[in-house]
Amino acid sequence: MKKQPKRVEIRSYQVGFGDCFLISFVYGTTDKRHVLIDFGTTGLPKNGKPSVHMKRIAEQIKADCAPSGRLTAIVATHRHADHISGFGTDGKTGQSGLVIKDLRPKRVLQPWTEDPKARPTARQATTNGSNKGFVAALATMNDLAARVERLVSAKPAWMSATVRRELQFLGGDNIANKSAIENLIAMGEAKGAKSLYLRYGAKSGLEALLPGVKVRVLGPPDLTQTNAIRKQRQRDPQEFWQLVSGMVPLKAGAAARHLGGASSRAGVPVEGRWFRDRLVSQAGRGLLEIVRQLDQQMNNTSLILLFEVFGKKLLFPGDAQLENWSYALAESKNSKENAKLLAGVDFYKVGHHGSLNATPKKLLWENFAKRKGKVLRTMVSTMPGKHGSKTSKTEVPRATLLAALKDGSRLKSTVDLGATDLFNLETIVP
Amino acid sequence: MTTRGASAEESRAPFRYMTVIAQDPSVVRRNGKIVMAKVAVPSEDLVKGPVGYRVQLVDYDATRRSFLGSHVLPKTYELEPKAWRRGDSSIVKDLRFHAQNTYALVMRTLARFEFALGRRIGWSFDAHQIKVAPHGMADANAFYSPDVEGLVFGYFDGASGRRVDTCLSHDIIVHETTHALIDGLRPKYMYPSNVDQGAFHEGFADVIALLSVFSQPEVVEHLMQRGRKASQGVPLMQRRDLLADALRESALFGLADEMGSELEGVRGQALRQSAKLEPDPKLKDTEEFREPHRRGELFVAAVMQGFIKAWSERVLSAGVPGQKTFPARRVAQEGADVADTLATMWIRAIDYMPPVHLEFGDALSAALTGDFEVRPDDTRFELRRHMVSAFRSFGFAPASDRKDPPGVWHALPEEPKYDRVRFESMRTDKDEVFRFIWENRDLLRLRARAYTEVLSVRPTVRIGRDGFTVRETVAQYYQVARLTPDEMASQGITAPEEYLKALKQADKRGDGDADHHQAADADAADNGDETASNVTPLYGGAVLIFDEYGRVKYCVRNDVFHPRQTELLDYLWKEGILRTGKKGSWLRPMNLASVHLLRAVSARSSQSERW
Repeated sequence: MKKQPKRVEIRSYQVGFGDCFLISFVYGTTDKRHVLIDFGTTGLPKNGKPSVHMKRIAEQIKADCAPSGRLTAIVATHRHADHISGFGTDGKTGQSGLVIKDLRPKRVLQPWTEDPKARPTARQATTNGSNKGFVAALATMNDLAARVERLVSAKPAWMSATVRRELQFLGGDNIANKSAIENLIAMGEAKGAKSLYLRYGAKSGLEALLPGVKVRVLGPPDLTQTNAIRKQRQRDPQEFWQLVSGMVPLKAGAAARHLGGASSRAGVPVEGRWFRDRLVSQAGRGLLEIVRQLDQQMNNTSLILLFEVFGKKLLFPGDAQLENWSYALAESKNSKENAKLLAGVDFYKVGHHGSLNATPKKLLWENFAKRKGKVLRTMVSTMPGKHGSKTSKTEVPRATLLAALKDGSRLKSTVDLGATDLFNLETIVP
Repeated sequence: MTTRGASAEESRAPFRYMTVIAQDPSVVRRNGKIVMAKVAVPSEDLVKGPVGYRVQLVDYDATRRSFLGSHVLPKTYELEPKAWRRGDSSIVKDLRFHAQNTYALVMRTLARFEFALGRRIGWSFDAHQIKVAPHGMADANAFYSPDVEGLVFGYFDGASGRRVDTCLSHDIIVHETTHALIDGLRPKYMYPSNVDQGAFHEGFADVIALLSVFSQPEVVEHLMQRGRKASQGVPLMQRRDLLADALRESALFGLADEMGSELEGVRGQALRQSAKLEPDPKLKDTEEFREPHRRGELFVAAVMQGFIKAWSERVLSAGVPGQKTFPARRVAQEGADVADTLATMWIRAIDYMPPVHLEFGDALSAALTGDFEVRPDDTRFELRRHMVSAFRSFGFAPASDRKDPPGVWHALPEEPKYDRVRFESMRTDKDEVFRFIWENRDLLRLRARAYTEVLSVRPTVRIGRDGFTVRETVAQYYQVARLTPDEMASQGITAPEEYLKALKQADKRGDGDADHHQAADADAADNGDETASNVTPLYGGAVLIFDEYGRVKYCVRNDVFHPRQTELLDYLWKEGILRTGKKGSWLRPMNLASVHLLRAVSARSSQSERW
């Protein structure tokens, strides 16, 4: 009989606002193979210190990788800090990335956007045209986020506290985490290891290492794939993000090229002051909107993976939002088959920490047949009070989604973990 | 004291001329000069700023937190710097020119609307002057915001590294001013209750902006001559160049190509799409085109494709039989005329559109009605036929099923009673009009238990192309019913479940969406009722058009207890426009700046998929 796992254990570690999941495929008492999906945080409960806590979590992951002490694979669904900060090797997360590195993963899976060879400056680029433009756009977004962070820390008088708080959070999540990225690349380049940069429909490269397990890649699509079906000509995304980068100056007063000619530094005349004040607060809100969009675009680069084992389906979508899901479930030529496939999902890792737009209601949630009788199992890794707001119905995790999850599944949330608990455990059996 | 060359008569003329950029700085002639245009704007003595009776330009940059100065514009056309008229590239850095360009195009658009509607148009906010910031912030965006009572034009570094100012784009200025003008005429359109209405502001603003550009013969001629070799004598066009498909290519695609590509993020792709989209009635039901920030493209495509067909037919039919070549200048002139007439038609249409719950079919019937009233003879351009045909090709039929004339609103089924109202007062007095509505409440199907407010009564004088004058009075009124969930149910209206839950919570805790915007909603009155927090406002209303004898010509209405009120409430809730609150639920207006941003990043915001 073909070799297959006897059971699957899924651990959801306490990383506050962030994701960290370990899937353990148990073949026998001494044969367990582990896949780590994400390891990052942008805020810990009770103001825990990442330099202490993340190191502790890394040690726990190591302990849970018994008996081999190895990881079969690491999946970094996308480059947001709350998904990869733990892979960093600097002091910020107590060098937790070194502990992970010691687990010598055989495969490192990331979305196609993270391939160093996809950068426009790469000598032998694996992408061209719009794909290249998109990858360049992501770098520009990181850059913009860094500028926003610097602007926020200067605490400009015109920025309201609410705007500043949100900009700080989003900015921080979107800056390039150099240490983590370099470690991920290094782990993939280690002897006997391989890096894979995947897009919709690609082979995951994990089947050989996990007998009896099938892994499908349902997202993200690349631009060649989406352009083929969209009615709108895809503009160069790099252009837009470069254009808005000018909103936040590198140095004070260095925003967009200065116009020559008369430029009076004298004050605004009396009758114009009301308008000036309104303009300034409008500018702050405008910047916030842009940064929110940036955050969403980044979320949409998430890898969506579907694991199939002994007839059970386990769905891990990172922070994928509607645009990413749309391709798999509505637009691509296999969308009907994908929808049928996902109807039978047994385990769902809740997207984007339970936000309002990462679990498409009709397209995805209402399609899960196993909500009936609460056969469906779900896990969410999140922390309230960090992202969004109740007044605008954008709080993360979203109350209405949580209600539906509790109603239609057996939900385990990291919010319910005790102060000394390090993870939630879900076991899937045939 | 008189200025040099200006007589006492000239300085009091109702109009004066100003030089503006015809489209934007990237549309240049063969000699590299920017294509400029001379536009007529209402005459006035401007104060440093410039500040006039309708516009207050404040050249403040909110990103750099710096004031760029008060500008004094040339007093007359003759006094303008020669560089401006020549279209030298130096004008791109001349802040004084930026101020003139912005001021002139805002005023011209306002004048255009006032001409078409035959009366003065107010802004939606209480001030007389709209504020305009030509370099408001570093942002690849330009928007109208009733919050700041103004128009904000952004600037940014383009891909080429050169600075791009949105205040130098003709179509962008007209587009934003149009938003402000629609808001003044139909404030409830900022609270869209269905996907067509959500798309209307953008689609309509795009249409007026594009037709405004095409109304300039200089621009059209430039487009016709693009890519053609300069030849001796009069530039000519072949018959095949004037077929609808070819004109679509040269005019629509042509302009899209000419317009700075860096600004596509700011303006969206409506123009390009209007050229590209093949008419298909199924498009309007696709997810892509149910996004409000994309749906406007269908509106634009219908109007622009109708424009092209009307232009092509006009030119080809005006020639002699067998004519093979046509002078490009003549072709351009015809195009500009059609565009101009069509723009006026669509602006007039607003007066015939219902005050709430607008759908594209309503807008179309409104356009047909308004045009029929002023230009009964449409044989010259056949615009109404082309509009109906173009809209149908995208799946939108006129809301009115009237056959003769097609698509025009029906008259009232019977004569109203006029015996208790005074004709003179009806032309201007809101109370008199309310009395008329009240006396005829059965005929007008007024809901007696809903609060009725007459918003405006305005006498108008409209002049057709052929000098045909039409005097009318336009009166607009709303009806608002604030109902508890039980009362709604008894009317057969089902509110969304999540909304009802939120209402209960607002009622219990006496809180809700704590947002200072609530105060801005004039209808959210604190009536001191204990059950106030669980009431939902339902809107209806009508536009009454009276002829010069005070007789009702048309009543374009939407019932407060609309049969599709359930659907409308659902949409309002999902879009985040309907909110719960301490003093009852209220409506929050849409944010136009965000709409532009969503368009620029091709975001999907489908409300049915959100939690």
